Amino acid sequence: MSLGLEQMTPCFQGLLPSMFFTCAKDGTPNAAFLSHVDYVDATHVALSFQFFNKSRRNVAENPQAMIRVIDPDTNQGYMMRLKFERSETSGPLFDRMFLRIEAIASYAGLKGIFKLKAADIYLVESIELVPEEVGRQERWSPPGRRHLDPVFTMKALQELSGRMNSAGTLNELLESILSGIKEYFGFSHSMILLAGEKPNTLITIASRGYPQGGVGSEVQFGEGVIGVVAEAQQPIRISSLVRGMLFALAAKKRAEERGWRPQEQVKLPGLENPASQLGVPLVVRGELIGVLCIESKTPYRFHEDDKNTIEMLGASLAIAIQNMQLKEAREEPSAVPAAPRPAGNGKTRHGKHELTYYASDEVVMLDGEYLIRSLPARILWRLLQTHKREGRAEFTNRELRLDKTLGLPDFKDNLETRLLLLRRRLDEKSHDIRIVPVGRGRFALDIHCAIELVEK
Amino acid sequence: MLDQPLTEFLERGLAIHIGTRNEALRPNGCRVTAVRVEDQGRNLVAFLPKAADAAVIADLKSNGQAAISFARPTDDRAVQVKGEFLSMRDATADEEKFVLGQWQALLTELDMIGLAALTSTSTWLMWPCVAVKIRVTAVFSQTPGPEAGAVLS
Repeated sequence: MSLGLEQMTPCFQGLLPSMFFTCAKDGTPNAAFLSHVDYVDATHVALSFQFFNKSRRNVAENPQAMIRVIDPDTNQGYMMRLKFERSETSGPLFDRMFLRIEAIASYAGLKGIFKLKAADIYLVESIELVPEEVGRQERWSPPGRRHLDPVFTMKALQELSGRMNSAGTLNELLESILSGIKEYFGFSHSMILLAGEKPNTLITIASRGYPQGGVGSEVQFGEGVIGVVAEAQQPIRISSLVRGMLFALAAKKRAEERGWRPQEQVKLPGLENPASQLGVPLVVRGELIGVLCIESKTPYRFHEDDKNTIEMLGASLAIAIQNMQLKEAREEPSAVPAAPRPAGNGKTRHGKHELTYYASDEVVMLDGEYLIRSLPARILWRLLQTHKREGRAEFTNRELRLDKTLGLPDFKDNLETRLLLLRRRLDEKSHDIRIVPVGRGRFALDIHCAIELVEK
Repeated sequence: MLDQPLTEFLERGLAIHIGTRNEALRPNGCRVTAVRVEDQGRNLVAFLPKAADAAVIADLKSNGQAAISFARPTDDRAVQVKGEFLSMRDATADEEKFVLGQWQALLTELDMIGLAALTSTSTWLMWPCVAVKIRVTAVFSQTPGPEAGAVLS
């Protein structure tokens, strides 16, 4: 039996709060707000069980319930007659709901207290229109069927794929992905994070649409949408982050009043207050390459209908990025520089900059401000010292790979990715010190200032 | 039962719903446009849209049990009032400004969290209303979190 739940997926994005009506065995009614109702199948919905409450006790004694949801596309309200069937504490549905709540909890510093205990499954016995919440009619054609307007169409995927195929370097590939996401999918804010040097970390390698690029910012597995996507290797789509956060923060306030100390709220790269977020794991043969994160200031930007194409997008991006990483790592350096040498190297001086390397922390600071850490910091320091000592400005990837002092891993060193990160970070932070590719497997340090190197 | 701070909270323009049940313990419910606390907090008047599900009024007349849930969208502070049906009448023209004033305050709250465009109520039928008088029997916190369900009054 199909009740039309399939056409009501916009109601299940958590954009507008839902109402849940139950009744105790003694006849006392109960009315409670819900943050989210999940679509299960054509005849079932799921409610998240996070805190013990009266509604849950009621359905245990009297399984009859009613729920009211609103279609954010039309504002039409619906009331559904429900019958409680069962609770699930594992499985794909539980995992999907768990991940969404986990992502919000980590933003709010609420991991552990704001978590899914169970997914409660209800049979939907009937659906009726809410008579006082009459919807707009213009989004309905024919009556009862919603216009589908998925963002991630096959056509857009094909166009993005075409653009990616013309990229010759990892840098060009990442640029083509982010510019394609803006041009073909219409999202102005996106970033790609790749696996970091440290285990269970991701590092922003490319971003688009942010006032400060954020290249080099780290995300731990399990932190926010990006970290939870990485940990679970599953895509997460949050249509109403604002509402989810308000719900979580209300719970946090109550918990704090009881003496519970929350974790520090995590500052993550991206928009300050995104309304919609999509995290796509980039996975090749079970290995996480990175995460694509797309954000929007508009709520409900990602439709249910986009789910399958989003997964395809993740798979194709992951393969393309990994192939490019492998290609660049295998390339022999060109015999002579293909590009003209940069004009800088101290000849055109724009003042003086101090670079300080903190060896114990493996961090390079530029004029007292954080520039970069870990392997890219070690590489930069090695380049700067060589430049100072020998006056040399050109380097090859191979010589870095052979330099044991850099501590590159023997297997999958991701040197080209780290160099790209360093290059992008310098572009963001300094116009006077840059890294410029000058041919296959070759690059030059392009310095337009006097520099002072300090090691601490 | 409803002290002054709670009265001010309930009347400030919140998302309000009333829940009832029929003789077979099947729940019913509808939106409430506004409320007014009366008789030193012992009773409240809930203004229900006349367009709302007739089952709610039928339930109130038959068994009188009611649960009214209030939530402030900007911080999810929520309260539930349990009560018993006392009487009902048509809301008067004099009450329209008071009732729709609360409704407008709710829309302003929703606007603050970016939902105004999505909750444009030009097609929602929030007036005219019936005024349902309820005797307050209990008040509970419903703010999400470990204290949800605590007795307030």
